[in-house]
Amino acid sequence: MGFFHQVLPGIGTKYELETDSGDIISVIFMANGRVQLYTQPARCPDCYAADLNPMETRRLGNVLTGAIMEAEEEGVEIAFSALADLRIAVHTYIIGAKLAGKAIGDLDIRSRTGVTILAVSREGKNTVNPRPDFRFVAGDAVVVIGESDQIRAFEQEFME
Amino acid sequence: MEGIAIALAVCVGVAFICRRYAIPPIPFYIITGLIIGSAGLGLVGSSDISEWIAHMGLLFLLFTMGLHLHPGEVAKRRGSFLKAGLIDLCINFIAGFGVAYLIGLPLYDAVVLAGAFYISSSAIALSSLIDNRKLGFRESDTVIWLMVFEDIMLVLLLIILASQDVSPLRTVGIIICMAAILFACARRFTGRIRLFFAREDELPILVVFLSVVLAVAIADLTGVPDSLLVIILGSAISLAASDRAEAVARPFREVFLVVFFVFFGISVSFSGAPSLVLLGSVIALAILTKFVSGVLIGKTIHRRALSGVDIWADTTSRGEFSILLALLYGSPAVVPVVAALVVVTSCVGSFTGKYSMRIRRWCGNVTSGN
Repeated sequence: MGFFHQVLPGIGTKYELETDSGDIISVIFMANGRVQLYTQPARCPDCYAADLNPMETRRLGNVLTGAIMEAEEEGVEIAFSALADLRIAVHTYIIGAKLAGKAIGDLDIRSRTGVTILAVSREGKNTVNPRPDFRFVAGDAVVVIGESDQIRAFEQEFME
Repeated sequence: MEGIAIALAVCVGVAFICRRYAIPPIPFYIITGLIIGSAGLGLVGSSDISEWIAHMGLLFLLFTMGLHLHPGEVAKRRGSFLKAGLIDLCINFIAGFGVAYLIGLPLYDAVVLAGAFYISSSAIALSSLIDNRKLGFRESDTVIWLMVFEDIMLVLLLIILASQDVSPLRTVGIIICMAAILFACARRFTGRIRLFFAREDELPILVVFLSVVLAVAIADLTGVPDSLLVIILGSAISLAASDRAEAVARPFREVFLVVFFVFFGISVSFSGAPSLVLLGSVIALAILTKFVSGVLIGKTIHRRALSGVDIWADTTSRGEFSILLALLYGSPAVVPVVAALVVVTSCVGSFTGKYSMRIRRWCGNVTSGN
């Protein structure tokens, strides 16, 4: 069944979907950018609601459209169906005492595991594409990118 | 100026507390005004400046109301919109008129009071639906469109009250001409108006303020009420850029409306008011008639009387439009009645809006005999 949509003057726009099983899902876009999501199960008089900000709305939308295949706490895996189902994982880690003071080039990260250090965040400042002579400090947050096997290798090699 | 500063400062505190507990601030602005004004401590009196700001608040309220009256969207509504609106109108307007007759008001005042008695507060109803997460219910759609119907009735009522002066045909004629010109311009230049309101600089803000001030000037020249002109202007702009225009007008409306509410409270004097018993019964009747109309609408539109309890819970508050009618057209005998009506019904309404699910469940248990 398609979405039924109507304008609610003074509130925003409402999209309502009645599923085959008779449940009703309504999404209301409000003028201030927030979104309210309601689900009303069939044969149940109550409505369950969530109030989402724009960021939460996008995250929920991504999960529903299947753009993100696997969402862990610190990482996401993205599938590109146009490129023969290429799956790339992006993961973040916090640098511990083991790697502190060492440079990316000296650690040979890419040749040993295949992952690339995409960015480092230190005290709120971001360094994108750090050079091989970049030295880690304990507490740095790093973003690594690679296939999931490579990410697993990186975790075993450097993070444990 | 210090009067406005004191009044606004207290209102900011009131708004802060109300937001914290998610209750509508409108009745508390009026109570604040009653306490610091002539009915209470007499700390603050109204001045020319406060009256001007309050009047701008009223005009911006009506301008944004006009923005919600998109002619195309309203025309798309089907029979249920008319049915619900007419039930609400007939029951509450006639009851209000009867009440006014009982108090012994002359015909003109009786129409004003009947209007104030009939029209619910859109501001309180809509924020209750959002804050209490009720937008998913079908009943909420009915409530929202009921507010639109009441807005249209308010426009008609304003036209009727405005044409009470010397030359009604001339007034109505000017209103129709103005509307025709504004809507034709909005249709012709839809694209340009939309582009203009999409600008990020100060120009849309200046133009919105200018057009409201211009409406006052035209009203002075022609004798047509500025309240009607700004509604028509808002409705015309809604054809092109409803959302952006509302975003631009909102800061003006929020600030000026607070002054409008608090100085309404300040100006109220209870010296000519009817007895407490009579006031109390008027208010009780106002809550009751909305219950009756709500249940009838629930039965007609949703085929369940219990749906009507939901509709009643969010439409029982009277608010900004009732005050507006009393201020613009009410005599000193009407104003205190409307003040009491708004304060009590909106307090009751914020409670019923918050606990409507429990009230409905309770009503369901009572009617099914458990």
